[in-house]
Amino acid sequence: MGVMTVRRWAMLAMAVVAVVACGGSESGGNTTGSTITLGAPLGLTGSLTKESTLTQQGYNLWLDWINARGGIVVNGVKHPVKIKYYDDTSSANQSAVLMQKLITEDKANFLLGPYGSAATATDAAIAEQNQIPMVEANGAAQSIFNQGYKYTFGVLSPANKYLQGVIDMAATLNPKPTTIAMLSADDNFSLEVANAINTYAPTKGMNVVLFKKYKNGATNLAAEVQAAKAVNPDIVLNSGHLTEAIAINKAAKEQKLNAKIFAYSVGPSTPDFITALGADANFVYDGSQWTPQVKYTPAFYLTVAQYVAAYKAKYPSLGDPDYHVAESTAACLALERAIENAGSLDPKKVRDALAALDVTVFFGQIKFDSRGINIYKPMVVEQIQSGVHHTVFPADVADAQPMYPTPAWDQR
Amino acid sequence: MADFVQLVILGLLAGGVYVAVGVGFGLVWGVLNIVNLAHGSLVIVGGYLTWQLFTTLHLDPFLTLPVDAVALFVFGYALQRGVINRIIRAPLLFTFLLTFGLNLIVVNMLLLIFGSDFRSVTPSYSGQGLELGSIVIPYVRLISLGVAIALSASLAFVLNRTRTGLAINAIAADRDAAQLVGIDLRHAYAVTYGLGAACAGVAGGLIAMIQAITPTAGEPYTLQAFVVVILGGLGRVSATVVGGLAFGLVEAFGQSIPGSGSVFANAIAFSLMVLVLVTRPQGLLGRLR
Repeated sequence: MGVMTVRRWAMLAMAVVAVVACGGSESGGNTTGSTITLGAPLGLTGSLTKESTLTQQGYNLWLDWINARGGIVVNGVKHPVKIKYYDDTSSANQSAVLMQKLITEDKANFLLGPYGSAATATDAAIAEQNQIPMVEANGAAQSIFNQGYKYTFGVLSPANKYLQGVIDMAATLNPKPTTIAMLSADDNFSLEVANAINTYAPTKGMNVVLFKKYKNGATNLAAEVQAAKAVNPDIVLNSGHLTEAIAINKAAKEQKLNAKIFAYSVGPSTPDFITALGADANFVYDGSQWTPQVKYTPAFYLTVAQYVAAYKAKYPSLGDPDYHVAESTAACLALERAIENAGSLDPKKVRDALAALDVTVFFGQIKFDSRGINIYKPMVVEQIQSGVHHTVFPADVADAQPMYPTPAWDQR
Repeated sequence: MADFVQLVILGLLAGGVYVAVGVGFGLVWGVLNIVNLAHGSLVIVGGYLTWQLFTTLHLDPFLTLPVDAVALFVFGYALQRGVINRIIRAPLLFTFLLTFGLNLIVVNMLLLIFGSDFRSVTPSYSGQGLELGSIVIPYVRLISLGVAIALSASLAFVLNRTRTGLAINAIAADRDAAQLVGIDLRHAYAVTYGLGAACAGVAGGLIAMIQAITPTAGEPYTLQAFVVVILGGLGRVSATVVGGLAFGLVEAFGQSIPGSGSVFANAIAFSLMVLVLVTRPQGLLGRLR
């Protein structure tokens, strides 16, 4: 009799569990689960404020969208999302400290990257130690991904691709340019971009005739521009950041450095480049992760046109979103899709889902190689024409022809 | 040869900016014994004033320089009178802390007002230059050098030929004795800091034409002003002029070293500073005190 009672109770308990479980999955989409906390340290003050703000805009655009839909769906339960930001004052060390704080104190479930390769590198170490996945959109230096980390994923094309598109484009132009003056800032990311050109250009029949490093963040580049002028190059390449790109363009005009192509890795794609330089910004090329003109067919989220419209609605007066914004949104999308695919909030399972991810969104294909960087999405080449950004290469996503060659300064 | 001449010219022209940044910094340091870590942020305030006047009122940027000077003088005077005077006799560390804090406050105020966008003043003649054969002399930089020299000359005039200037000199020589003969220390301190800030404002106006500015763009200039003043020597405006031009030349030639030029440029500038400190602690033209 005693045994029977126990069995009965056990049967009853199982039945109850089954009913509850079924009930749970039936009413699935409507129940609200626990809030998912994402953590992101950003340089909201300090020297990287501009780019960090763009990054935050990208994150917030997605945040609004996902929460308007009730959150990320995990096994039929909608989990609202919260992003906890801290200001790392544009310091990579501070960024790592705050990343740890986000994990231990704020109990962040997953991490979004900071701005820049330096901070991403220090934060990746923290993500790895704590085994919490970090999806980042603004650290392209391959040195981050050559550490054997398993928990850091970058949705953007790596540094070595940044200016290769410009070389590919140059090879199609007539008369074909052959000599390159390469100026580069001395930080990891910029040097990776520049060194890749040193090895890539000869394969396209071009030669780097001048390679000059300068200090990261330099504002006086008169002597560097003078050195470039002395070798009379067909192409002037700069691998640096917005500040240096503006400084080089100003000095090039002042010192009458003329070339058929001026292309800068980072800088011209931001609206500030045009507002700071006015008409002098025309004809400048840059390698871009994304432009508002690209044509990709998204599997979910918005189309490119809808994305641009959503950005303009949320941030009127700022113009089109630049690629920093787009790639940051893409990082959120990668994380969202990986959580859905994992069907779990377990960091290990989400990590595995990220590693296996292969999806195309408005930003392009997101798929990670074994190191965690997205080598599958191509870079595009933009040119500023009459004060407006146009995509000029590759031809299948371009909306304009390159204006080539760049006229001399006194003939504009 | 033409390359060499061009490099000398570019170095001297760049030096003009360092002169403008250095004179105000040197004055405050020499008289008040304050290493003003907020100097770079005052420079950028001047830069934003010029930018604002240029974009909204379409004033020629060089005409906005007097406005920068007056506005920054008033701001600097109030800052010294209201805040810095309270720790003027405290140990050096306190002045470091205070001016560092002021720097943070000014930078973040600028971030709140102007945001972090890069701004640049680009008048129609920007980028134009005088061409002598293969040598180019950009007008904006040439006029900037002229303004920096004129600024230094007027500062020297104020310090050596006016009552206020003589009072400031007296304080620099011996502040207790100056007080004994009836000089109003608090006022004279504030005027000194105001003059330093006014020079920073003019420098900022020049910088806004030469490079793109953001609220944080001033920080390197504080460091450069420090080097320039040590190179030239404390206590004389003309010494800072020499220091600034020397710094510009060293930078230009350092950058032109093949390969990683500007990395050497800084190393050379700082080695030169150490060399000066070891062999001529009073600076190239400074007075021993």
